[in-house]
Parts: sequence; structure tokens; C-alpha cells
Amino acid sequence: MKNVKTLILLLLTVFLLFGSQSLVKAADVLHMYTALDTNEAKIYIEAFTKDTKIDVQWVKLPAGELLTRLKAEAKNPQVSVWFGGPSVEFIAGKKEGLLAPYKSPVGAPFLKGNLKDPQDYWTGFYFGAIGFGNNTNFFEKNKLAYPTTWQDLLKPEFKANISLAYPYTSGTSYTVLATLVQLMGEDKAFDYWKKLDSNIHHYNPSGSACVTQAGLGEIAIGIAFSHDILAKGTSQGYPIKGSFPSEGTGYEIGGLALVKGGPEPELGKKFIDWALSKRAQDLMKVWFRIPLNPQAEIAAGATKASDVKLINYDDEWAGNNNKRLIEKWRQIIGK
Amino acid sequence: MSQAYLEIRNLTKEFISEYQEEKVVAVKNFNLEISKGELVTLLGPSGCGKTTTLRMIGGFETPTRGDILLDNVRINDIPANKRDTCMVFQSYALFPHMNIYKNVAYGLELRKLSKQEIRERTEKILGLVGLTGLSNRPIAQLSGGQQQRVALARAMVNEPKVLLFDEPLSNLDAKLRIRMRIFIRKIQQELNITSVYVTHDQEEAMTLSDRIVVMNQGEIEQVGTPEEIYARPRTKFVADFIGKQTNFLTGEVVERDSGKIKVKVWDKVITFDRQNDFKKGDKVLLVARPEMIDLSSREGTFEGEVNLVTYLGSEVIYEVSAKNQLFTVQISNPLKQGIYHRSDKVFMNFDVRNIYLIKE
Amino acid sequence: MTKSKRFVAYLKRIPSDIKKLFREPLLLIAIILVNLFLFLFIVLPLFKIFQLSFEDNGQFSVKIFYDLMSKSYNVQPLIHSLTLGVAVSILGTLIGFIFAYAVTRVDLPLKRFFNVMATFPIIAPPFMMSLSAILLFGKQGFVSKMILQNMIQFKIYGFYGLLVVETLTYFPTAYLTLYGVLQAIDPALEDAAMDLGASKGKIFRSITLPLATPGIASAILLVFSQSLADFGNPMILAGNYTILATQAYFTIVGMYNLKGGAALAILLLIPSLIAFCLQKYWVSRKSYVTVTGKPSATRIKMDSPLTKYSIFGLCLLFTGVIFLFYGMVIFGSFVKLWGANHTLTMDNYKHAFTVGWEYIKDTLILSSIATPIAGILAMIIAFLVVRKNFPGKRLMELVSLLTFAVPGTVVGIGYILAFNQPPLILTGTAAIIILLFIFRDIAVGVQTGIAELQQIDPSIEEASTDLGADSSFTFRKITLPLITPAFYSGLAFTFVKCMTAISAVIFVVSGKWNLITIAILGSVENSDLSQAAAFSVVIIVFILLALWLIQFLVNRLGGGRRIKFEKAEAL
Repeated sequence: MKNVKTLILLLLTVFLLFGSQSLVKAADVLHMYTALDTNEAKIYIEAFTKDTKIDVQWVKLPAGELLTRLKAEAKNPQVSVWFGGPSVEFIAGKKEGLLAPYKSPVGAPFLKGNLKDPQDYWTGFYFGAIGFGNNTNFFEKNKLAYPTTWQDLLKPEFKANISLAYPYTSGTSYTVLATLVQLMGEDKAFDYWKKLDSNIHHYNPSGSACVTQAGLGEIAIGIAFSHDILAKGTSQGYPIKGSFPSEGTGYEIGGLALVKGGPEPELGKKFIDWALSKRAQDLMKVWFRIPLNPQAEIAAGATKASDVKLINYDDEWAGNNNKRLIEKWRQIIGK
Repeated sequence: MSQAYLEIRNLTKEFISEYQEEKVVAVKNFNLEISKGELVTLLGPSGCGKTTTLRMIGGFETPTRGDILLDNVRINDIPANKRDTCMVFQSYALFPHMNIYKNVAYGLELRKLSKQEIRERTEKILGLVGLTGLSNRPIAQLSGGQQQRVALARAMVNEPKVLLFDEPLSNLDAKLRIRMRIFIRKIQQELNITSVYVTHDQEEAMTLSDRIVVMNQGEIEQVGTPEEIYARPRTKFVADFIGKQTNFLTGEVVERDSGKIKVKVWDKVITFDRQNDFKKGDKVLLVARPEMIDLSSREGTFEGEVNLVTYLGSEVIYEVSAKNQLFTVQISNPLKQGIYHRSDKVFMNFDVRNIYLIKE
Repeated sequence: MTKSKRFVAYLKRIPSDIKKLFREPLLLIAIILVNLFLFLFIVLPLFKIFQLSFEDNGQFSVKIFYDLMSKSYNVQPLIHSLTLGVAVSILGTLIGFIFAYAVTRVDLPLKRFFNVMATFPIIAPPFMMSLSAILLFGKQGFVSKMILQNMIQFKIYGFYGLLVVETLTYFPTAYLTLYGVLQAIDPALEDAAMDLGASKGKIFRSITLPLATPGIASAILLVFSQSLADFGNPMILAGNYTILATQAYFTIVGMYNLKGGAALAILLLIPSLIAFCLQKYWVSRKSYVTVTGKPSATRIKMDSPLTKYSIFGLCLLFTGVIFLFYGMVIFGSFVKLWGANHTLTMDNYKHAFTVGWEYIKDTLILSSIATPIAGILAMIIAFLVVRKNFPGKRLMELVSLLTFAVPGTVVGIGYILAFNQPPLILTGTAAIIILLFIFRDIAVGVQTGIAELQQIDPSIEEASTDLGADSSFTFRKITLPLITPAFYSGLAFTFVKCMTAISAVIFVVSGKWNLITIAILGSVENSDLSQAAAFSVVIIVFILLALWLIQFLVNRLGGGRRIKFEKAEAL
């Protein structure tokens, strides 16, 4: 009786500690982290599995946390693919030595310029621009003009009525910061943000939260990517209208990369090829993203590069100065 | 002397107290031989070591030094659950989540007897203690006396070599206590089980025991039958502890001659028809129990005055002050002799045949 | 005997203690295994945090703390957390006291109802109050918009919002502590005071209150710790009032700064540990009351109508508020899209059980595995600590209680530090979540078990031994059945804690295993409040089902004792 009990106890321990782990690593499964919204990621991933019969196990993580997780797991990577998230994150990831290069034959024809990493450590698969999501009720009720410049945001009428994310938890918000710095010069950019800060109701951890908050009327203006403004705001039925700063705005390339030392690199490569194919790129419109593949269809009402004044956004520079700028932002803004 | 069944040799128990940071000797050089079927009581005030000794026999305390032998086998290293002893606990320690039957049958079930035999023995013992038909009753519904009997039955049903009693009656009211101690003694004698009984109540000890071990501060003061303890106490402690309000007088042996000794007490000399091994010049303690003093209004050894009169019907207890000392005097059958009153002058006469002498 | 001599005597006892252990091999294995688990899953993670923070280039250094503290964006959260903690603890204790006094000392109707309402928040996800606050007082809130027509803007994001929701969430802890304390005061004392001529007010001021003071201090410290460790509420409602627990999370997750996050975790840990030590070793020693308090009807005395009605009114008010908050969440769950589309619908529940089914399933599976293991382990530890003697016993007890004093954020960080490399790579598995569940909540089970065991007359177990049973038989047949009520209480509490866990597990969830609480936070972030509300209601329903099931089992197996959260919450 005694021996049986001890045996059971030991078996239980062993099972718990190691059994479940072995369950996770099954055959022919692709493991990935994604920074895309869960509902969006599902669309692509389910289509991929349907097309290729490859099973995918994925976790959605906010962009910053995703990078942290990859860093923490660097000695023993748990995933093969990093799917989605602004390219700045991928630049940082490349710098940290977390990525493996792959030149996809599918993307080669149209991936020019800064749509991918020059050494193929990551590739873009969609594109979006920073804009303002405005609550139409607020503007109509108060008879105000919609903001069309960065300077407009500093107007006293918008006091405690703007929100966006912390630059250190959200790629969206960091892109805003990097854009402002490239637009105005570093000192002026921080001066600007100090003034903007007094109009900000509160900061969110996630980049797109401000859109729904604007939609609900908790605030009047949310600063986010155009696709989030459309996807989470207007198309959901919220009273949201988008606008863009005329001085120029920043944009993001949605990134995709192989994780260095990942458990199933071949499957990862298959995924990248698939993501750049017309079939996958057609799906981009569901989430109001601009596909990179010129043969793909575009969503109605989605922004094209030609609709908005874009600055010459230097992804590489933004990625390299990530830590420094964020640290400076935290010091100056104090949040 | 018959072969000892339970033998305790030089048993000592020392505790190291955590908070007082000192060593406490609870039991010191305890020696005792108990015959089969005997009921021996360990008697003494609280803290005298009687319970500790009992628990060492049962296996719940480990002796620091000394040996315990049961039926000629040294049992020091045998764990409590393997010793052939069973204890009746002061708090009864009945299992609250079981009924009477399960409580009593517990030990038998551990001995892997057949269901049939367990049932027979349990029913028998329940009959013996007067609880037949109550097998299914849960413990919480029992009265104090019933609980006591279940505890007794539970221990006895296993027919242990030695039964241990740890002040089992202290939680009962006076009348029940008297009934139960008679009951316990009867059963013990009927089943002839060797028993060690612990109590601080001397009346209990006197009525139950074959022999009494009087203990004080970890050591044995005297071992003897109730009569020996009472009539011939070997130390002042025993004389004082046993009996009601013992009177003590100090004296000096002034003459020892042909089977008699003369003892000077205050200004009088009292003659005793014995000598023991007293020598001239020895200081002696006279043990005069209240019933060994007689009162007279005319003549006697010492003169005194009545302080307090307690009339109890069959006897009267007087408190008499004489020579700056208070004496307790018990007079039986006062209706025959007459009753003294407070402030009466009386003379005290001593029953020299029964007064016991202890060398100081 | 001097201290050194005493220690030497203790050391001398060790060989004989160990020898005795070898005679019971099962016992020895149990002790070794328990110690191993406690070390791996409680001590090691904490150690890793300290190691990471205090090490700089291989040497001991406090540099990271200077770095952190030189930045206002770290000092502020620290100050905010402490300030909020103090405010919540005082307010929460005050409310808890009013309830406790009302239930134990005043002649009022509806006592059972008040008792239930005052303890209800314990079984709900802690951040439900924040969700409700937004539903009620946000710009689209029920009160702000529909009742007050947006005339008043409530500042719910920030200090005041957090103060209200945390007070509502944690005052039950104070209530339970104070209830126990007030019940345990010997009624004869208050009777004597009255006999000598004291008025009700005088009795309160000179007898009841002074005797309850250690209990009040206890309650304040306990609520303070809970506020400090709160993660869910600040995630939702903090706004710009940054606090330490969420900042530690962002530092790791947003700034990729493991070391900084670990150091912040230590800053979070220190006040909690201090509060815990104060509560356990100083305040509870000064307790004037005995543990065996009997509730008696003679305790209730006549009050002046003014006192009676004001207290009754206050209790009704607070109960009303609690009802309002929870009711709002239930209502919100049936709304299609809060703030935009207020048609009533079951869509959110449909969504919860289809798209969200993975979350529900995972949470239930993981909680159901962890709960019995935690319960049994806790009972074993309690038994070892109370009934057996072996070297390191006190240490084992202390370690098993440690996680109660440690905020979940700290534990979570410790786990990712400790288990993301060989030999124990557990990040990403079910195991790490289950382990987190088990060792986070084991403290309560241990304490309850110890308290229950201490109330069992040891001579009962001696009697069993005397009658021939060995340790294992005695444990199974005698001890275990007698502590079963405590066991089930522990189970109930653990299950609740597993279902509502967030602050530690948020660091370790993975693709394969996800939790409802995290889904709720995600929904709130998307301003999908109705969805969040639906998930919250689902959690509560499952908890109630589980509690009912456990109570049913307790009744079935005899005893019929009601599960009590008394001892569970108030250590």
C-alpha cells in the first residue's frame, strides 16, 4: 500500500512536469507568435491551415511583449515564425539576433525598397498609415472642425479628449513618436509631445484601444493606424471618421520573419511564401490592410498611399533609436 | 513475592524546556514491580510525575534512562502502537466521527480478527459496561458517564497485558465519580487485568488500589497497600497527603527501655509501646490523625480551647487550639458523647496505640 | 541555558529526530518531496528575482535600484501604490468594521443577508468592480449618461476610481477578520461592564474597541497587501495614476527590461512582506481574545434607535452599492455593444461559448487539476507541521506561507525567470500555469489545516496509536476525516482563486493554454465591455457551481458543516 502510493505520487509529478511539455511539441505543427489582433490572425492562420493542412499553434502577444518573450526564449526558441507587428519591432529583433534570413521567391518581384529588410531578415506583408480616429458625435455636437494637422491636436477644445498608447508597450505609438521626431526634429518633437500630453486623457497599453474608446465617446480623438481606425471603429458601427495630418504622417509595414533557431524552419518558410501569395494577400482587405502584392484586391474605403501625405519614414533609424527615444520619452513625459 | 509482570527499573525522564531554557526532571529513579492482576495507583499532587510515568509505560514518552519490562521483555524500544498496553485517556479521546461500535471495535479491526469475532467481543464488552443496544449511537449524543464507559470498553476489549488509566474520572461530578470507580474496580478484578492508575484524588486511590505509589516531585515517597500508607506513612509528605487534616507534633525520645519509648512533647512525656529503631535523643514526628485524638472536659494530656465546631451529623470536627497550634479533632457519634461549643476548654487525649512515629 | 547552548541542544536532537524518521519511510519521503516542491516552486522563483536585480557583472550591486529610482516614472508608481494601499486599507477596514459590528452586536434584521453580501466579492473576479465602474460611471455609463444626462463627469480613471473599486473588492477581508475578532471577545466582559453601569457607547469605547484593536490592525495590514498586489483593477482603471504592479509588467513586457522589472517587483515585495510580518508576528501576538468564541444571542444588547437605524442604513447603503455594481455587470453582459448598441441579446454569451470556448475550457481544466493537488498538499504540510517533529519544520511552514505575502506580479516574474531555461523549461506549458495556481494558493489551505488540526485533541490520535495503528493508518482514518471540513474549505477557496487569477498568470500564458481572465482584460482593452461582462458572469457561475458541488460533497460525506471562508481569508 505504501509503495503504491509513493509510486503514484512520483508518476504524477513526472507527468505534470514533462508530460505536458511533450504534448505541446507534436509533429507537423508550426508554432508562431503574432502581434496581430486575435480575430485578424485567425483569418489568415485558419486559411493557411486549410490550404496547406499544416496545423498552427499560435499566441497573440502585444508587440513589445512578443519581443521580450523571444528574447527570454532565445536559448530555446519555442516558435518558428513571428507574424505581424510593425517593422520597427522587427528591426529591433534583427539587432538582437533573434531572426533568421529568408528570401521568399513569392515576394521577390514586388518587395522593393524598405518593404523588407535589405538582408531579408524580415519581410513586409501589409502597409498602413498613422491617422486620427474622430468621434463624429463629439465634433457635431460641439461644432468643431476635424483635426487635419498635428498642431490641431494641441487645441484647448480637445483637453482630456485624446488618447493613444504608451510608446513603450505599443508599436503604433512608437511609430507616432518616431514620425514626429523625423518630422520636426528631436527637440521640437518632445516639446510638441509635452504640450500634447496635457490634452491626453490617458495612455493605453495597446495601440488600437483608443479607437474603440473614441467610438464609445469616452474620448474624442484616438491616434492609431488607419486600418485599426477602419476595422475597429467605422466598420464596427461606431461613429468614427478618420483624418490625417497634412504635415505628413508615418506608416508601418506589417512584418513577418523566421525566428532564429526555431523548431520548424521549413514550415515557417512555407508560411512566409503563403502570406505573400495573392491568395493570402486578398485576405488583407478583411482587416482593411493594404496588401503589398500588386495582384491582390483592396478593401473599399481603405487608404492607399496616394491618399495621404507620407513622410519619408526611416524604419531602420526608428528601429535603431527605439530604446533611446523611449527612455527619453519616459523621462520627459514621466509616465 | 510473586514474579513481577510489569517491572520498572531506574526510570528517569528529563525535559529540556524550550522557553525557560532549563532542564526539568519529571521522573527520577522510579523503581516498581507490579504483579499480574494487580491494580497499582500512582498518587500525588500535580506535577509529581505520575502522568509522565504512565505515558512512558504506554510509549508516549521516551525515558531518558531506565528500563521497562513487560512479562520479562524490555519494551523501551517498542513503539506505542505495538505495545500490549491500552490507555483510558483523561479526556476519553473518543473518535467523534464514529459511533460507539466503531470506536470500541477500532483496535480489534487493526488486529485483523474475523468480523464474527470482532462483533462478539465488542458486544460482550458493551454488555459488561452496560451499553448494550447503543452501538449505533454517535459519540456527540452521549453523557459524560456513558463516554467514560465507552473509553473503558475501547481499551479493555483488546485484552491488553496492562491497562493504563490517566485520571479517567476527573471530568465527572462527585456522585458519578464514586459510582464509576467502584465499577472500574469490579471489572478490573473480574477480568484480572494488570492496571496502572493515575490520580490526584486520594480517596479514589484508597478505594481502588491493591497498592499505592505516592509520588512527589518526580520521586517515590512510599509504596504500600492503602492500609500501610494510611496507618504507617513513612514520610511527612505521605502522612500529610493521605487522610484528612493530619496533626503533627514534634518530640524528642527521652528514654528507650524494654519495648517502650518515652517521647517528650512540650512539657509532657508520652509513652509508646514500641521502639522501632529509635534511640535516645532522636527527634520524632508524631502523626496524629483527627480520629486519634479524644476530648474530655475534665482531664487529658494537653489543654486547649475549641475554636471551630463543624457538625456533620455522624461526626463532629473540632478545631482546637493548644500550645499555639491548631489541632483537627474528629469525634464520632457525638450524640452519645455530647457536643462542645466554641470557646469551651477541653483536654486532648491521644490514642497512643495508633499514633505513628516518623524519624525526622 | 544561553542561546548557544540551546542551539547546541537542538542540534543534538537532530540525529535522534532523523533516526525516528527513518523508521517511517513514507513520512520521510513525504517530507523530502514537500521540501523539494516548496523549494523549486516558491523559493527558487523569488531567489531568481533577487539574483537578477542584485547582480551587476557578476557582483552584488544595488545599481539597478539607483537607476530605477532616479527616474520619476518609477518613483511615482511606488508612491501611488503605497498611497492607494493606505487609503484603501483604512476605508475598507472602516466599512468592514461597520458590517462586522452590525452583524455581531446590533439588533437588526437581514443579518444573514448582510453576511452574504459582505463576503460575496471574495468569490468574484477582483477586477469586476472596475468593469462595473466603467459601465456605471464612464462617459457611456448607466448613471452618468442615462440617469444624470452627463451633467456630472465622474473621474473614474485614476486614484478615486481605484479607491472605490478596490475598497469594494477588498473590504470583505476586513469584514471576515473583524467578524472573527468581535465574535471571540468573551461576552462576560461586556456583560460585566454593563453590570457596573456602563452605557452602550461606553462599553464600545472602553471594552469592545480596545479589545478589537489588534484585529483592526490585522485587517488594515491585510487589505493593504491586497491593494498593493492588485493588478486587474489598475490595468483597467488606473488611467494616468500609474501603480507599481502594472508598471513592473510594462517594464518587462514593453521595455524588454527583465532586470528593471525584477527590481520593481522587489520594490513591490518589500511593503507586502513588511505588512505580512507585522500582521503575523506582532499584531496576532497581541491578540487579547481566545480562539474558541461562541456566538451567543445574549451578546446583542439594546441600542438607541439612532444608532440602530444609522448602522442599518449604512449597511443597506453598502449592500445596495455592491448589488448595483454586480448587477450592472450582469445587465451589461446582455447588451450587444455597450456604448454603441444597447439592444439586449445573448450574443455575448454565444461568443463566450463558441469563440471563447477555448478560454473557458482551459481555465476550467487547469483550475480543476490544480485545486485538488493544492488541497492535498496543503493538508499534508499542515499535518507535518502540527503533528510531526523534524529539523526544518518551522522553515517549511514559513515557506508555504510565503506566497500569501508575495504579490502575484512578483511571483509571475519569478516563474518566467526560473523556468525558461534548462533543467526546468516550463514556459509555454500547462504545467507552469498549474504550478502557479497550486503554489500561489497553498498558503490558505495550510493555515486552515493547521488551525483545524490544532483544535483536535491530540489524545485522539494518541488513542489511535495506543490501539495499534501506525502513523499512516491514524492519518487516514482519524486525522483526515476530522480535518475534512477544513480541506473542503481550502478546496473551495483555491478553486475561486484559480478561476480569478490574473496578476501572476499573465506572465505565463501561452498559445496552447489561455485563461478567461486574460480574455476579459483583452475585451476591456478593446472597449468591448459587454463581452467582458459576459465572461465575468461566466466565471462567477462556474464558481458558484463548484461551491455548490463542494458543499454537496461535504454534506454527503457527513458532518454537514458549512464551508466557511472565515479562516481562509483572515490569516
